[in-house]
Amino acid sequence: MEVLRLHNLQKSFGSVRALKSASFTLNEGEVVALLGDNGAGKSTLIKAISGVFPVDRGDIYVRGLKVSIRSTRGAMDLGIETIHQDTSLAPDLSIARNLFLGREPVNLKWLGVFAPLDLAKLRDAAAALLKRVGISKKLDADALVSTLSGGERQSIAISRAMQFAAKVIILDEPTNNLGVEETHGVLRFVKEMRAAGHSVLLITHNIHHVFQVADRIIVMRRGEIVAEQTVADTDLLTVESIITGADMSALLKETRAK
Amino acid sequence: MTIAAEQEMPRSKRRSSLIRSPQFSSLVILIVLLAVFAIADGNFLSPLNISNMMAFLPELGIIALGMTLLLTAGEFDLSVGAVFGLAPVVVMLLVQNGGFDIGIALLAGLLLCIAIGAVNGLIVTKIGISSFLVTLSMLLVVRGAALYITQGFPLKSWDQPGFFVTLLAGSFNIGTFRFYTSLWWFIGLSLLAIYVLHYAKLGNWISAIGSNRNAAVARGVPADAVKVWLFILTSVLAGLAGMISAFRISAASPVAGTGYELEVIAMVVVGGTALTGGRGTILGTIVGALMLRSIRNGIVLIGVPGLAYNIFVGVIILAMLILHALLQKNAARS
Ligand SMILES: Nc1ncnc2c1ncn2[C@@H]1O[C@H](COP(=O)(O)OP(=O)(O)OP(=O)(O)O)[C@@H](O)[C@H]1O
Ligand SMILES: [Mg+2]
Repeated sequence: MEVLRLHNLQKSFGSVRALKSASFTLNEGEVVALLGDNGAGKSTLIKAISGVFPVDRGDIYVRGLKVSIRSTRGAMDLGIETIHQDTSLAPDLSIARNLFLGREPVNLKWLGVFAPLDLAKLRDAAAALLKRVGISKKLDADALVSTLSGGERQSIAISRAMQFAAKVIILDEPTNNLGVEETHGVLRFVKEMRAAGHSVLLITHNIHHVFQVADRIIVMRRGEIVAEQTVADTDLLTVESIITGADMSALLKETRAK
Repeated sequence: MTIAAEQEMPRSKRRSSLIRSPQFSSLVILIVLLAVFAIADGNFLSPLNISNMMAFLPELGIIALGMTLLLTAGEFDLSVGAVFGLAPVVVMLLVQNGGFDIGIALLAGLLLCIAIGAVNGLIVTKIGISSFLVTLSMLLVVRGAALYITQGFPLKSWDQPGFFVTLLAGSFNIGTFRFYTSLWWFIGLSLLAIYVLHYAKLGNWISAIGSNRNAAVARGVPADAVKVWLFILTSVLAGLAGMISAFRISAASPVAGTGYELEVIAMVVVGGTALTGGRGTILGTIVGALMLRSIRNGIVLIGVPGLAYNIFVGVIILAMLILHALLQKNAARS
């Protein structure tokens, strides 16, 4: 079943046409890898879906319904959780406070933004979550994020997306800066999410990871989607050449044949 | 280390991080300073002198509370001293020349402060100019307005006893100590600020915005709206402090509050709040306010020549900041 469908999304920054035209569909329980060289427009595409900025043109459908995503909050409310490449955590806050940032457990809810945080719940939920992701041994939920390594931070950001069990989880280069063990943790997480029926959009430069977890591959180049293939129907070398654009003619034939 | 973090730590860890926290080292230095002044001059701890210090303390302290929240969110406001001067001048002009009721005039003053804060906040967040430049310009506009509408002359303030004077500048005695109601305002607002910054959802947002704005926005935190409201709050507190001061001395001067912006920012950072945002402490700010107040008062008593005050104040502030920086480095290493 279709969960997310993009139709002809376009986005320019001044004269830079970061996204010329992007259309694709993401189905339930599917892992789609979004590939492409630096500056291809991958982050721009997912930022548009996650409400960081509005698109100039194009439509987004969630479960068949046309939606307009005006803010990050709006995307989250539609069940789209994103882990961005560049920004994810506030270093001066504790792990627990970061895990619940924007969705803090509170008492006396009617007080709105002045409602007191439910500190006990915050701490317990954070500890439970870290345990589930398998990093509780190493990390204390009360530690400040500024004291963590890059890889540990990434793990925290991923566990945060996990806890809200979103329909669509978008990961922008989640294995960057990660050690071997954490990288396996992330890939395992992606598989778990798929098993639980969630859809994952994974951006990465590591093609080996793609072949380990993805069902389908989408390749972008200069703001456009240039190829779309199921993993079973292709191999590493072909994908590599599509990304770099080394063999355009063969690639076009292949995509048209579908 | 923020208090926020300490709240969530087990007791054993809480103690060690408390001792290393900036507000704790500030407190130690405050106590040392108080002891030095007390020993150097017997009058320092006399009821009269303490009453004097407590009369001045809330006026800058109240502004410092707003400034702490604003700095924690990663912005600051240089126009507070000018607003401190303008608000009472406008209120008194409305009463004396406009024939308005004092209550209406105060309401107009409040709206003016809200407007100034909103303009600051909207220009900073929507147009994206740094708060340094925006509020520096606002300082000139506001101070210029105060001078122009008064033609540079101080006004006689409201001196008839009544509800508002009692509310803002009434005084009462406890034994031989004389206190102003402004002290209650400061205490009440301090408790409120501690609650908001360290225990409420909003405080989590404020710290997150100052720490990593994009991360906060990506989690759905309305960063710009929060900042605009903090600018408004800071402006309103500056106006309130200005009214308190004008009522207390029964005069509204267009140059009142000159230089307060830097003194207030000094109080806040001396207390341990980071100028770069993300880490704020209200307790630290209270300690910082007490410290700067007692330094100003103490060096007079121990006979430092008047023209040399600022040398001392500046050196002590520098020493405090160096101490915080060293502690911070130490904490990062451990
Ligand atoms: N906020 C922005 N303002 C102006 N130009 C931008 C902005 N964000 C992205 N761009 C430009 O849009 C193009 C696409 O950038 P994008 O970040 O989407 O690439 P990417 O595929 O994610 O690359 P990478 O693999 O390096 O992360 C680039 O040319 C980039 O310089
Ligand atoms: Mg990118």
